[in-house]
Amino acid sequence: MRKINIESTLYSQLIIDDENKLVIKFQPKTNVFLYCISEMRDKLRKWREENYRNSEQIVDVGEELINEHASKLGDDIWIIYEQVMIAALDCSRDDLAWSCLQELKRQFPDSHRVKRLAGMRLEALERYEDANKLYDSILQDDPTNTAARKRKISILRAQGKSSEAIRELNEYLEQFVGDQEAWHELSELYINEHDYAKAAFCLEELMMTNPHNHLYCEQYAEVKYTQGGLENLELARKYFAQALKLNNRNMRALFGLYMSASHIAASPKVSAKVKKDNVKYAAWATSQISRAYQLQHLPAGVMLTSLALSISSKTPYTTAASAGVAVVIEIHGRRQT
Amino acid sequence: MKMGEVELSCLAYAKMYLHASQFPRSSVNGLLLSSSPAGAAVCITDCVPLLHSHLSLAPITQLALTQVDVWCSQTQQRIVGYYQANACVSDSSPTPCALKIAEKIFEQCNNAVLLMIDGEKMFPGCRVPPIVMYERKDARWALKDKHTIMLRQWEETCSIVNQLFSSGDQTLLVDFDSHLDDITKDWTNQKLNAKIMELISPANGNV
Repeated sequence: MRKINIESTLYSQLIIDDENKLVIKFQPKTNVFLYCISEMRDKLRKWREENYRNSEQIVDVGEELINEHASKLGDDIWIIYEQVMIAALDCSRDDLAWSCLQELKRQFPDSHRVKRLAGMRLEALERYEDANKLYDSILQDDPTNTAARKRKISILRAQGKSSEAIRELNEYLEQFVGDQEAWHELSELYINEHDYAKAAFCLEELMMTNPHNHLYCEQYAEVKYTQGGLENLELARKYFAQALKLNNRNMRALFGLYMSASHIAASPKVSAKVKKDNVKYAAWATSQISRAYQLQHLPAGVMLTSLALSISSKTPYTTAASAGVAVVIEIHGRRQT
Repeated sequence: MKMGEVELSCLAYAKMYLHASQFPRSSVNGLLLSSSPAGAAVCITDCVPLLHSHLSLAPITQLALTQVDVWCSQTQQRIVGYYQANACVSDSSPTPCALKIAEKIFEQCNNAVLLMIDGEKMFPGCRVPPIVMYERKDARWALKDKHTIMLRQWEETCSIVNQLFSSGDQTLLVDFDSHLDDITKDWTNQKLNAKIMELISPANGNV
């Protein structure tokens, strides 16, 4: 029979047979479930490869796969146990995490990778000393084990010991300069500590090795904007623009471009030409923003009305980093009820 | 209501709680609004969830504050406070960023409040509201006397929050950050507000 899936339910498919008649074919139950199993496997693989942290979904899908269809997963089952275990810890499902861990321990009794998972479970139970002991024993065996080192730093972070976490992470990065994840973690730690200069340095490292990543550009621009001062605002504007070049739908970058250009234009320190250029940039950003909202048919739209670049007046919430300069952003329009 | 008293409505509490629950691994913050006229007491009638990432970076915070301010003036509301829930559950003290924003709000509203959500008390069955409030006294932010904080119908409020979770409606909550990720999402949360008001109404046996 020629099978053309016009519509399929869990147990039946509508098929056009060789005589061009529409027929309902009932699939034997096992076939349907095999089809579903491979879908679930693919989903888990996608989430694994793209590092999603949708732990509730992973637990939902993974728990069913493990409990009902373990025999059909082949060697994939071990990596699925690992993925589900970590997601289970994230959702406080110690029961599920424990059973996954037992299976992995049985299969890989001396593995450092499994030991690390046991350590993560201890962390989830806030038994940080025990977790540290476990990681230290891994590092004694294998001093180059980056996973264990990073877990120790995560423990410091969980305990709120930010300065120690920063110190350890810096030491780690001296040895493992190419670890992107670590650079990003360090930038987050610095941002939380309001050490914007060092956060910017970390983001510069990330931008160098990932020149096409619009998110790093945009975060760098935000840090520069926060640091304040004319030079930093100009850098911020440039990097917001770069982020937009890489992804023209990054709304943060668009708003950021508008705000940095407006502040520069309003600064008394800039030349007439610079002022004119930045007014142009801000106006362009305005038009792009209102276009983006109108394209979505957002009711009443959110329109940036006339830019009032007021040097002398201050509105409550828009004082620029460069002292005493204010920009009024008027946003009209009401949201749909 | 008396001088110095603060009333927190069910709507405001529910949305703050939902916001903190939606992003359990990050710090979150938002603004507290009032639709009552300025007076000796503060009536927090609503809240706007703002960010769940990079709370201490300026551009998006400034953008959000201005947008909310303008929206408030159009809807006869005022910004009367700020709330924050820290990522580190064991530490619910105000961060420098929280103090800075609260300071800004205080410049416009002289009985502004700073509300920190206490993550350690956010478990089902907890009998105490997981909030710590601060007010401006003698040029610093001091802990507010618990007896001046009113949470009317606390039991009903808890039950409404539970109902939102069991019906899956807690996923309806949109904060400003999420709006920037997808501008079709409504940061004024009209849909969720309507759902909560429905649950609050006397027809449902609550309140």
